[in-house]
Amino acid sequence: MAVTASPPSVTQDLLNSLPKTLKLKTKQQELLLRITTLGLIYILAFITRLFSVLRYESMIHEFDPYFNYRTTLYLTEHGFSEFWNWFDSDSWYPLGRIVGGTLYPGLMLTAAGLYKILHFLRFAVHIREVCVLTAPFFASNTTIVAYFFGKEIWDSGAGIVAAALIAICPGYISRSVAGSYDNEGVAIFALLLTFYLFVKAVNTGSLSWALASAFGYFYMVSAWGGYVFIINLVPLYVLVLLVTGRYSLRLYVAYNCMYVLGMLLAMQIRFVGFQHVQSGEHMASMGVFFLLQVFFFLDWVKHLLGDVKLFQAFLRITVTSAVGVGAVALGVGMASGYISPWTGRFYSLLDPTYAKDHIPIIASVSEHQPTAWSSFMFDFHILLFLFPAGLYFCFKRLTDATIFIVMYGLTSMYFAGVMVRLILVATPAVCLISAIAVSATVKNLTRVVRAKVQPVQGGSGKGTGASKGSSKGVIDNSQPFQKNGAMMLLFGAFYLLSRYAIHCTWVTSEAYSSPSIVLAARGAHGQRVIFDDYREAYFWLRQNTPPDAKVMSWWDYGYQITAMGNRTVIVDNNTWNNTHIATVGRAMSSYEDEAYDIMKSLDVDYVLVVFGGVTGYSSDDINKFLWMVRIGGGVFPVIKEPDYLVNGEYRVDKGAAPKMLNCLMYKLSYYRFGELTTEYGKPPGYDRARGVEIGNKDIKLEYLEEAFTTQNWIVRIYKVKPPKNRW
Amino acid sequence: MKSKSENPVQQTTTVTDPSSAASIDPIFHLLRILPFSFLRPPRLRLKLPSFSLPSSNLVFALVLLTYFMVVSGIVYDIIVEPPGIGSMQDPYTGAVKPVVFMSGRVNGQYIIEGLSSGFMFVLGGIGIIMLDLALDRNRDRSVKASYATAGITSVVIAYVMSMLFVRIKIPAYLS
Repeated sequence: MAVTASPPSVTQDLLNSLPKTLKLKTKQQELLLRITTLGLIYILAFITRLFSVLRYESMIHEFDPYFNYRTTLYLTEHGFSEFWNWFDSDSWYPLGRIVGGTLYPGLMLTAAGLYKILHFLRFAVHIREVCVLTAPFFASNTTIVAYFFGKEIWDSGAGIVAAALIAICPGYISRSVAGSYDNEGVAIFALLLTFYLFVKAVNTGSLSWALASAFGYFYMVSAWGGYVFIINLVPLYVLVLLVTGRYSLRLYVAYNCMYVLGMLLAMQIRFVGFQHVQSGEHMASMGVFFLLQVFFFLDWVKHLLGDVKLFQAFLRITVTSAVGVGAVALGVGMASGYISPWTGRFYSLLDPTYAKDHIPIIASVSEHQPTAWSSFMFDFHILLFLFPAGLYFCFKRLTDATIFIVMYGLTSMYFAGVMVRLILVATPAVCLISAIAVSATVKNLTRVVRAKVQPVQGGSGKGTGASKGSSKGVIDNSQPFQKNGAMMLLFGAFYLLSRYAIHCTWVTSEAYSSPSIVLAARGAHGQRVIFDDYREAYFWLRQNTPPDAKVMSWWDYGYQITAMGNRTVIVDNNTWNNTHIATVGRAMSSYEDEAYDIMKSLDVDYVLVVFGGVTGYSSDDINKFLWMVRIGGGVFPVIKEPDYLVNGEYRVDKGAAPKMLNCLMYKLSYYRFGELTTEYGKPPGYDRARGVEIGNKDIKLEYLEEAFTTQNWIVRIYKVKPPKNRW
Repeated sequence: MKSKSENPVQQTTTVTDPSSAASIDPIFHLLRILPFSFLRPPRLRLKLPSFSLPSSNLVFALVLLTYFMVVSGIVYDIIVEPPGIGSMQDPYTGAVKPVVFMSGRVNGQYIIEGLSSGFMFVLGGIGIIMLDLALDRNRDRSVKASYATAGITSVVIAYVMSMLFVRIKIPAYLS
């Protein structure tokens, strides 16, 4: 026979000779592909958050995480019972702070748990490394939960796309980067887990899923104050289902179980306490709970009564009386004061103008500002296009689960519009809905691409083949055009998603990976210059001041001073006592002698100010000074804001108001600054952050003396002199 | 005294509601006894307004409108009250030039720039929706082709314009 050794047959032989067990069927191939993809997404979510660890070092960022780190350290050193009953006398001197009852313990317990597990496996890591990497670890877990959630709502393809989108979405990365050891890192995982378990419970009606969702809710309550979103969204969802006629026993079981058990578990957290029955923010869930009981009762009566007309009348009476009794009970509760009204923090979400007029502390935080379009674009990119398309697909196929994700998406987008910080809560919903759009569109396009070629003559003997071909829905005579068009559209979709990935990586690298405690800038020759002044100052405090020294500074730096400087502070970021903060604000805005009296009454030994005039650092105390005046003036009317302004304008140069030029903050920031030349070609005393030459260069301090100024003059520490001896 | 003045126009009616005898509503029975045993209710042709749930298309249209407003930063406009369009004075000629994009910060905008960007986002979303309508089977070819063209052009225009807006606003974008 002719030796037609064709190479393809060699490979065929090879393939045939593989043992039967290694050749995978399509289903197994699909499973392998899915698991590999999810594994890669898991790793991607972790490593994209590691920019700052690689650029700087493994340290805790920002302000709030330092308090969380300090409490976690205390927990690992002293045990849970000491932590739960801890009274901290090192902050808010002389008031102190009941730490155990005023924090959400979920984050600390999680990190301490991970630390204990690692130590049990004989990995001797420091607790700081565990704290730094907790958020990326939980971000990876969130992608897995997003996959299951997407599978529940739509199908597994949408789940994978959702996991991929949420792994790199900048809206989530901004609060879960390595080093950002804050409640949100764990809370978003708990939020998505609770929602997934609840939707699963509503879809299956099973008691075990409902119990699991109650425990998920408990984890969320222990982790973050944003649990109020869950306890209001879920009742709203139940109400929408009832109104659209989708009441079912599955819904009844799921909501009842989650509400009752979740409420009881939530009361175990001391910070939450009895708010679930006492606070106005939680009343919606209770109202819907009772309404659901009424629905069940009516269903039962309908089943008992045969007569339709009788039942209609009974229905009218029952609903009217139920609503009436509920309204009366709510009225009595609110009038007697048992049910407290909505707190300012959450009320300002419903009425955004409230905080601006009434609560300056809330209005001053930059994260609480309303959102402009560019913040949305920065944090979401093409997801902003895919979100309305995904909503359209959800409306096309309305089920209990898609109604939930639509409601979650709409409410969270509204709140994200009110406050920049809440873009984080909207991110999982936006990613899931966009994943639905991507998955449905790609499915449509691939259906067109993979359509079988239709035979030109009507298939007589190919009955089943023709019907199968026609079910792919392609008309024969324009087939290649449609196929090519669909291929091009697929490439277009691939291009858009790759631009999304590029954007996300760029944003993560440039905008969201800076540990605010270490500053970086470009030098004259393009090299990177690092300013480590904050930590320099805190370690100076730790090593050169007596252990019981009290430090007064603006509340932004309180957590960092107690955690790194290990000294007692007057006010810190918890901002629970407005009068105390106003006292500090008054001291900073008064003349030196009045401020000395206030400082002596608070036993202050050192004063710390942050000054950016030498480096051009714009988040310093002089730029925050007007907030000190406003907050101080809110409690002590002797401080008036117009005294510090000139024609409504805030200035520090020669034309500034005389009260501004002589107040304590001005003196402490610009002491000896008039002798310094900061920029070539400018006079000495040129403030690079404000861009002007300062007005009062000849500053003399009578009651304080300079103790320490860091290398780039960013942090300045002054010692309060003891009172003069009396004759 | 005949109580004719109470119902001057209609003739008296003694036709009672057929279900009144069988009604279990206590308030109904109370009212039957107290005012309406001597007052004669007029015969009116009124219908209780019945509300039906709006169709899903209407709800979706409202949702798109709300999305447009939120994403344009309307809450920012209401609270911070920026001008509709910014202005800059030319240093050499002294003329006042309009500035469309507020530069310097990511979280700041003028009203017009917010609305135009929001419009671009919604246009992109509608483009993808039209693409899906184009791939629907039960239409004839010409309608599907026009949907497809409109969808593709919308998405392309929306994406290009959005990228342009971002580059104008943040000069250091993607560098």
